[in-house]
Amino acid sequence: MTVRITNIQHFSLDDGPGIRTTVFLKGCNLTCPWCCNPENISFEIENYTHNSQNESFGYDISLKDLEKEILKDEAFYVENNGGVTFSGGEPLLQIRELEPLLKSLKSKNINICFETSLSAPSNLLEIAIQYIDEIFIDMKVLDKKEAKNVLNLDIDLYYENLELINSSNLDKKNITFRIPLNNEYTLKEENIKDILNCIEKYADFNVEIFKTHNLAESKCKSLNQEFTIFSPVDDEALNEVLEKIQELNSNAKIISL
Amino acid sequence: MSFLKKIAKPVYHKAQDNSMGRRSITLAFLLRRLTRRFGSKEKASSYLAKNMHRFYITGSKFNKGTQIKNLFRKVDIHIPKSGFIFFLDEFKHLSEDGHIIDNISIDYSKVLKSSVYEYNELYFHPKAGRGFARDLSSDFIKNQLDALDGIELLIYRIIKKLRNSNHKDRAKFARYFENMIDKPAEHFEEALQRILFYNQLLWQTGHGLNGLGRLDKILEDCYFDDLNSGLITQEDAYDLIKSFLKTLHTYYWYKSAALMGDTGQVIILGGKYDDEYGEYYFYNDLTYMFIRAIKELHLPDPKVLLRVSSETPRDLIELSLETINTGIGSPLFSNDEVVIDKMIEFGYDKEDANNYVVSACWEPSAVGKGFEQNNINFISYLKPLNEFFDNETEQFLENVNSFGELFNSYKYYLKKDADELIAFLDNIEWNNDPLLSLFIDDCNEKNMDISQGGAKYNHYGITTVGLANTVNSLYAIKKLVFEDRKYSLNELNKMRKNNFKKDKYQAILTDLKNVNPRFGMDDEEILDISNEIIQFLEDCFKDYTNKFGGKIKFGLSAPSYISAGAEINASFDGRKAGEPLSTHISLDTNKDFTEVLRFASKLDYGGAKFNGNVVDLMLSPDFIKNHTDKFTDFIYSSIQLGFFQMQMNVVDSKTLIEAKENPEAHPNLIVRVWGFSAYFNDLPEEYQDLLISRALKNEGKIAS
Repeated sequence: MTVRITNIQHFSLDDGPGIRTTVFLKGCNLTCPWCCNPENISFEIENYTHNSQNESFGYDISLKDLEKEILKDEAFYVENNGGVTFSGGEPLLQIRELEPLLKSLKSKNINICFETSLSAPSNLLEIAIQYIDEIFIDMKVLDKKEAKNVLNLDIDLYYENLELINSSNLDKKNITFRIPLNNEYTLKEENIKDILNCIEKYADFNVEIFKTHNLAESKCKSLNQEFTIFSPVDDEALNEVLEKIQELNSNAKIISL
Repeated sequence: MSFLKKIAKPVYHKAQDNSMGRRSITLAFLLRRLTRRFGSKEKASSYLAKNMHRFYITGSKFNKGTQIKNLFRKVDIHIPKSGFIFFLDEFKHLSEDGHIIDNISIDYSKVLKSSVYEYNELYFHPKAGRGFARDLSSDFIKNQLDALDGIELLIYRIIKKLRNSNHKDRAKFARYFENMIDKPAEHFEEALQRILFYNQLLWQTGHGLNGLGRLDKILEDCYFDDLNSGLITQEDAYDLIKSFLKTLHTYYWYKSAALMGDTGQVIILGGKYDDEYGEYYFYNDLTYMFIRAIKELHLPDPKVLLRVSSETPRDLIELSLETINTGIGSPLFSNDEVVIDKMIEFGYDKEDANNYVVSACWEPSAVGKGFEQNNINFISYLKPLNEFFDNETEQFLENVNSFGELFNSYKYYLKKDADELIAFLDNIEWNNDPLLSLFIDDCNEKNMDISQGGAKYNHYGITTVGLANTVNSLYAIKKLVFEDRKYSLNELNKMRKNNFKKDKYQAILTDLKNVNPRFGMDDEEILDISNEIIQFLEDCFKDYTNKFGGKIKFGLSAPSYISAGAEINASFDGRKAGEPLSTHISLDTNKDFTEVLRFASKLDYGGAKFNGNVVDLMLSPDFIKNHTDKFTDFIYSSIQLGFFQMQMNVVDSKTLIEAKENPEAHPNLIVRVWGFSAYFNDLPEEYQDLLISRALKNEGKIAS
């Protein structure tokens, strides 16, 4: 059994508790214009040239090798619930392939975290929930039409999945909304209203907000894709949103990614 | 480590044959020091000319003890208006007959507990009874007594001058000096003054790279006595420590050896120990205070080494990380869970290993018990590999049929270098040293000068450099020639000899530079090659003992990565001719610090391979600040995993580049070099460039 990934990042400090190994799974059905990992969108392995060398994004790795790679840093997981984070792309889309690995990691008491957009059929999420210790849920554009147009996200599915998580046994303190902020899309007044509503509904989830950045430009170049430069978000706007969120959830914080 | 001195020394000793030669070499060194002090050669020369009447070298027709007495009679005394007394007279020199033993720490706890009187007692005639007659039966004792007389004389000269000075606390400090004659140090401030005085004597007599030892332990009794009796508060003690550190930082230009900042003034803090009841970690208020003080003072020197174990309190590690995050490159972490065992394995008594300190940079040694010259020379792993490929014929290379054969040929060349080094070691003569013999065990018991083998431990320590370049070269050859058969040995060698200059070699150059896995990665094959090389070197030294019965130990951290790289051709790891060798145990292109830590923990430091093995990490500013908790976890996990030592450079390429272009804008920018910290502006250009390129790599702005 193999899964398709682009990278395994050891010593990740921003992807969940403790010291973690983050596995970036390849393939995502969303089209977020600010995507910072564009090489993780396509499900296909993509070749490109860099400094006249042939390189490629993506490779298939056996579960056995992947587990070996994850366990390499086991010594560093011990303190403060470190472990593995599955990110992407959308990790839920390869959950069937991943499941045996999750089972094995669980049996070894490795903390398992997912970073997901929730843009995946609910039955896939149900598989994942059995193994998840921590989850980061993207919250981006929430208007039904906008979500479809901009992100290619089915917002009904999103809310359905959110409810699934909420009603699961997952400890609420281990569930975190991550909200990317940019002037062009997510910071729009109507959207912020929707975001606040959602946060209010799930008030016991954690909330982290951050500015989107333009770091994916060179990756897009490698992939021969257009990259739209986003205007810089000023700290004032960020703090304003934070304050509004904090009225509903005092633990909300700004992170930088 | 005294690199320049090493190069200059053969010249010096030749010149010693006549007194004029001796004089001119000493003057040349003095001019170098003064140039650092005044910032230009012109100013230094004019200062020297005006002060030539102060210039003095002891006459070598006298024995060393008498020379010391003469020197201490002559040195100019300088009393400040307040605070600690510490002065060096750069114009007064002790004649050098052979290499001066340097790069060690004396045991200042003994200095605090003993007085001149008590040292004198060591040399009374045993039969006449204490206090009656001096034993003048051996040259050793005559020397010791003369040196002691010199110390006593200087103490009285200082007291007299102090009393007549305008020093704010002259009465109190005069008392501290009087007590040195016949009493142990009683108070905290007094203890600091006594350490400074004996430290001053070492510098004045030409000893370089003087370590300070385990000051939190040494000062513990005096500190708690004063604190408990209400004589001082914690704040007072903290202020005294700051003032003590500032005093040690004076004469920076005098104390620095090969590079500005290379003073060897390392303070050892914390430390694991065990007894019949269990394992413990030693620390106290002073441990925190010393670290807080170097953080607050933001000075590159003196520097701190924190001995760590699994039992080290979390807030002490956090404080250390906060301190490192200010960019001063200190403290360095030394992992007692590994270091102590390796010292015992090599042959140190357990008690001495538990009480270890390090020489100027990282080299573990027994405090106050060794003559140990821990950085006496270095071996480059890469030089013999290059020599093999420079010397052997095309026909020979054609007939190398396997990687194993190549590896064996390399070992043959490495052994030649090891043998040469041994021959060099046997030819060193050491300067008689009554002053050190006074403080180092077991010279007094054996009635033998330290330079003649009087000390308890007499090992030679060497450093090694370029292991990463060698491992990466060998691995690249293994892959490209013997496994993938992409090139023949001769083809690759032709490109290397051409320094990869031709356009058509650029692709292969990139392949070589990016060979993956590489040194620093947790890969079995890479680890096997690394461990096989260092095991082989250990075997080369196994049967050697020096004339004092000492053995050779070595470590993987060396200061010579720039100089050793400058003199050799391009290598198979894509390093071009003259470029620096890799620094310590590092993996700059990789931000997965866990990877290089796992690698470092699997290197074999056993046998003789423990003479300093530093993982060197480059961090961007605020990385620690933004992740203090997790970085602390990382340190604890790493301690358990078993790294040997670790140091961190917190820099960003932008600031370094700006500072190089516009030094005035960044006068206080501190960086970590070798095993010490220095002002960036004081460094030679090639050191600045190397740091810039390492920072760029670390930030992902350039490839390897």
